[in-house]
Amino acid sequence: MNAPTDITAIRTAFQTDLQAIATEQDLQHVRDRYLGRKQGAVATLMRSLAKAPPETKPALGKSTNALKREIEQALSKKGTALRTSMRSTDSLDVTLPGRELAFGRRHPLTIIREQIETIFETMGFEILQGPQVEDDYHNFEALNMPADHPARDMQDTFYLDQSIPGTGNPALPATLLRTHTSGMQIRYMEAHTPPVRIIAPGLVYRRDTPDLTHSPMFMQVEGLLVDQGITMADLKGTLVEFLRAFFDTDTKVTFRPSFFPYTEPSAEVFISCVFCSGNGCSVCKETGWLEILGCGMVHPAVFEAIGYDPELYTGWAFGIGIDRVALLKYRVEDIRLFYDNDLRLLEQFPH
Amino acid sequence: MRVLVSWLRELVEVPVSIEELAEALTLRGFEVGAIEPQTPNEDGSLDAVLDLEITTNRPDCLSVIGIAREVSTLYATDLRPPPSFSLPGTDSPPLLTITVDDPHLCPRYVGAVASVSVGSSPPWIAKRLEASDIRPVNNVVDITNYVMLETGHPMHAFDFDKLSKPEIRVRLGNIGETIKTIDGVERHLQSEMLTIADPEQACAVAGVMGGADSEVTEATQTVVLEAAYFNPISIRRTGKRLALTTDASYRFERGADVAAPATAMTRALELLITTKAGTPQGPIVDHFPSPPAPIVVRLRHSRISHLLGQQIDENFVTPTLSRLGFQVRPEPDSNTTTWQVQVPTFRVDVKREEDLIEEIARHHGYDRLPTTFPALTRPPSLPAPWRARDGLVRRLLTGCGFSEAITYAFIERASAQSVSEDSENIVALQNPLSETASVLRPSLVPGLLDSLIHNRRRERQDIRLFEIGSRFRRNEGESQALAVAMTGSATSKHWSSPDRRSDFFDIVGVVTRLFAGFGRQIALEQATVGHLVPGRTACISLLTTHETRTPIGEIGQLCPEFATRRGLTGSDPVFVAELDLRPLSLDKFDRLQAIPVPRHPSMSRDLSVEVDDSLPAAEVRGTILASAGSNLVQVKEIDLYQGEEIATGAVSLSYRLTFRAPDRTLTDAEVQSSIDAVLGALAESHRAKQR
Repeated sequence: MNAPTDITAIRTAFQTDLQAIATEQDLQHVRDRYLGRKQGAVATLMRSLAKAPPETKPALGKSTNALKREIEQALSKKGTALRTSMRSTDSLDVTLPGRELAFGRRHPLTIIREQIETIFETMGFEILQGPQVEDDYHNFEALNMPADHPARDMQDTFYLDQSIPGTGNPALPATLLRTHTSGMQIRYMEAHTPPVRIIAPGLVYRRDTPDLTHSPMFMQVEGLLVDQGITMADLKGTLVEFLRAFFDTDTKVTFRPSFFPYTEPSAEVFISCVFCSGNGCSVCKETGWLEILGCGMVHPAVFEAIGYDPELYTGWAFGIGIDRVALLKYRVEDIRLFYDNDLRLLEQFPH
Repeated sequence: MRVLVSWLRELVEVPVSIEELAEALTLRGFEVGAIEPQTPNEDGSLDAVLDLEITTNRPDCLSVIGIAREVSTLYATDLRPPPSFSLPGTDSPPLLTITVDDPHLCPRYVGAVASVSVGSSPPWIAKRLEASDIRPVNNVVDITNYVMLETGHPMHAFDFDKLSKPEIRVRLGNIGETIKTIDGVERHLQSEMLTIADPEQACAVAGVMGGADSEVTEATQTVVLEAAYFNPISIRRTGKRLALTTDASYRFERGADVAAPATAMTRALELLITTKAGTPQGPIVDHFPSPPAPIVVRLRHSRISHLLGQQIDENFVTPTLSRLGFQVRPEPDSNTTTWQVQVPTFRVDVKREEDLIEEIARHHGYDRLPTTFPALTRPPSLPAPWRARDGLVRRLLTGCGFSEAITYAFIERASAQSVSEDSENIVALQNPLSETASVLRPSLVPGLLDSLIHNRRRERQDIRLFEIGSRFRRNEGESQALAVAMTGSATSKHWSSPDRRSDFFDIVGVVTRLFAGFGRQIALEQATVGHLVPGRTACISLLTTHETRTPIGEIGQLCPEFATRRGLTGSDPVFVAELDLRPLSLDKFDRLQAIPVPRHPSMSRDLSVEVDDSLPAAEVRGTILASAGSNLVQVKEIDLYQGEEIATGAVSLSYRLTFRAPDRTLTDAEVQSSIDAVLGALAESHRAKQR
C-alpha cells in the first residue's frame, strides 16, 4: 500500500465521479463513496495511515485531511449548483398567497374578562361562576337592599313571570335576572369561612334602554376579599395594582366617595383618561378622568346576613363593567356592537 | 341638585373660587356634573349654578343648607343659617284640626293657616327657583318651594276655602277613589296610598302631589300650609304605583328630617310675612305624638384605623363630626379613645360606626389613604374545572375557524317556540323591554342564527360562529350550553382549487373534533327536531366508559323556513349543533398514561360491502369493530357508492381496516383471517355482500 499514490488515485477518481453527478441522489452516493464513515475512501485511507512509517505520518495526515476538505467543498458546491438548477426548471411564484386556514377569534369581552381573571389569579383570587337567574335574597336582601330601598332604582331589574328552579336552596327559586354578580359572593360566603379572596365574572342584566353606553345585558366582574385586618388601604393597593397592570403602568388612579348599600365607606374609582392621558378630551368630558369601577369596605350588615362577625372580619368588594373597559381599551364606539357579533369587528381581535 | 353659588355663599363662607369649590365637593362625594355660569351679581361677584349629583343616601344634601354644611366642614368656616325669626304671638284658637290614622305612615304633621294675597314672587325668590329649575308659580307656592330648596323639606299649600271643613285627615286611599292632581291627571287611589283629605275627599297624594281642586290660585285668600314627615317606603310605593316622581316624593322616599317640619313651617311663615305675601292666622298645629329618641352611635378611635388602614388624629375626628352636625362626647369611663356620637335627625344615612368612619374618611380625603397589598393567609384554590373546559372549547372551535359570539339572553317568543318542544317550558319576562326580547332563551340557536343573519346581510357568505352561554327552561332552570353554526364555503378560497360548500358532515366533523379534544367519543343517531331538516338531523350522545350513551345535544341542517323567517337571505344551507356543556370535562386527562409507541408495522386492507341503504352506517362500523379481533386498530370509511352495479335500495360501503399487534409483525394469513371474520359477521348481521 502506497499512501501518496492512493491519495492521487482517489482524487482522480473523485473528479470523474463529481462530473457525473446529475441528481441529489447521485450526490448522496458520491458522498457516501468518499466520505462515508466506515466504507468511504477517505476513511479507509485514514485507517491505513496507522501502518505507515512514523516519519511520514505527519505529512501524510496533512495531505489526507486536505483531500477530505477538498472533497467536502466540491460536494457542497455541487449540491448548491444542483438545487439552483432545479429551481429554475420547476419554480413557483412564491409571492402568490398560501391556502388560508380558517381560524376564529374569541369575543372581545371574553378577551378582556380573561385578562382581568389572569391578573387577579396571580394575586391569589379564586374565580367563580354563578347563576344568571337569581332570587331576591341573593341579589338584594343579603346585600343590605331590602324591598323598597331607593338604591334598587339604580339597578332596574328584569323579573321572571314565574319563578323557576334556582341554584341551591329549593326554597329560594329564581325570580329575576341578576343585576350584578354579587349573589355569587353571598353564596360563596354562605359556604366558606374567611379568608375569602374571589372574583365573580359574568353577564348581568339591567332594564336600561340600549344606547351607545347602555345595554340591558352586559358583563361584569366583581371581587371580594374578607379576612382579619383588611383595610381600605388594602382595597386601594390592590385596585391600583390591577388598574396599572390592565391599562398602563403610568395610569393615575383616584378614589372618590360614593354610595352603595353593600359597602361603607364606598368609593368610585377614576383613572386618568386613556384617550388624552389626562389632558382633557371629549371622552372624559374635559375632566382628564374616567370613571372605571365602584368599590368599598363590605357593609357590616352584609356580614351579619351571612353570619360573619363584623368585629372580627373586615373586607372589601368592587365591581367593574367589562363592556365599559372593552369600549375604552379597544376604543369601540357603541356597546351594542359587542352583541351584534359582526365578524368585521370580531376578526380584529387576537385569536 | 342644582345649587346657586350666591345662595350658598349667603349660608356659609366659601373661601375659594367656584371651580375650586366644585373640585373639592366632587372629592367629598358630591360630583359636580356641570358648572353653569350665571349673570354676575349686583356686587359684581361671579355666580354659577353647580349641578350636583347627590347619592341616594344623602337626602339632607338635597338642600342648600345641606351643601353649606359640607362646605363649612370642608373649609372649617362657620355655617350661617337664616337668623331665627319670632312669629307674632297669637291668642286665637287653632283654625285647623289634624287627625292621623296611622302614625307609622305619618309620624309628624305640622299645619298652619294664613291669609294671603296671591301674586308674583319678589325677583330674588323667582331667580333662585329658576336657577334650581323650578318654575315660579305664585308667591305662596314659590315660598313652599323656596323653603324646600333651602332646608330640604318639602311643603305643600292648600286653598283653605276649598276644604269642606278645616279638618285635615291623613288617611289611606279608598278603593275606587280618584283624585285629579295638579298636573291635571285623574289618578286612581289604592288602599295603600297615603292621602291628605278633608272630611269629604282626598285633597293630595301625601308627599307626592297635591290635588287640583285645592290648588292655590289667584283667587285664593286663605291657605293651609303643610310640613309633614311621611314614611319613605310608603311614599316610594305610591310613587312607583302612580309612575310619578316629584321634587317632594324624591326627598320623602329617601328620608326626610323628622325635626324639619316645624322649622320649615316657621321659615315659610316668616317669608310670607317678610315678602308681604300673607299673615298667619292662629297658631301652628304640630301633630307629633311620639318624637323618636335620638340615635347615638359609639365610635372607637381604634376602629377608624382598623377600617381605613391609617391613623387619623382625634383632633381631626371630633371637629369634623361636629361641623357636620353630630354631637360628639367622649365615652365616660372608657380606657380607650371612644366617643358617643349623637346623630342629627337629618342624617338618616348614619346608623352605625362604619357610617361615621366614612364621614371621617370622606373629609380626610380618600386619596390621602395609603396603598397596601393584603397578605395571602391561605393557599389559593386551584382553578375551577369549568375554566379549563370553556377555555379548551374556545381554543378548539377558534382553531376550527369559528368566532365567538355573545347574544342576548332574551329573545322573541316566536323564536323560542320554534326551538322548544314544549312551549310551557319557556320562561317569560314580567317586564321585557320589547316584544322581540320577551322570553329567556331555551336554546342558544335563535340568537346565534340572528348573529349569522346579521353577518350574511353584510356581504359575508362564509360564517362560522359559536356561543357558550346559559339557557333557561321552566322545569330545569338555568344550564350551560354550547351552540355552533356554520354556513358557506367549507374550504378556504384559493386559486389552486375550487371551493366546496359546507354540508352536514362538516359540522359533524367539527363536533367530533371538539369531543376528541376532550378525549371523548360521540355517537350520532337519526332524530327528529322541530327546527332541523328531517333526514339531516341527529341527536348526539356522549360515549361513556361503560358503553352507555348520554344524550348531550342535537345537530343538523336548519329548516330553511325558520331561517328565512328570521331574515336569512341566500340559499346556502345553515348547519347548527347545540350541546349541553355540563357533562363535558377534562377529567379523562387527569390520569392519562401514555401507551407505548408501536414497535411493529401495521397492515391495511380495504373491503367493500353492499348493504341495505336504510341500514345506518354506524351499525356496519359497530359490527366491524366487534368482529375484527383485538389487532384492529383503526377503521376508516373510505367510500360510499350507489348507482350502476349496485342493486336498488342498496349501498356500497368501503372501509379501510388497519391491523397491528403490539408484540409482532402480523402475517398476511392473520390479517386475512380477521377480514374473513369481519365479512362473516357483516353477512350474518346485515346480509352484507362483499364486492
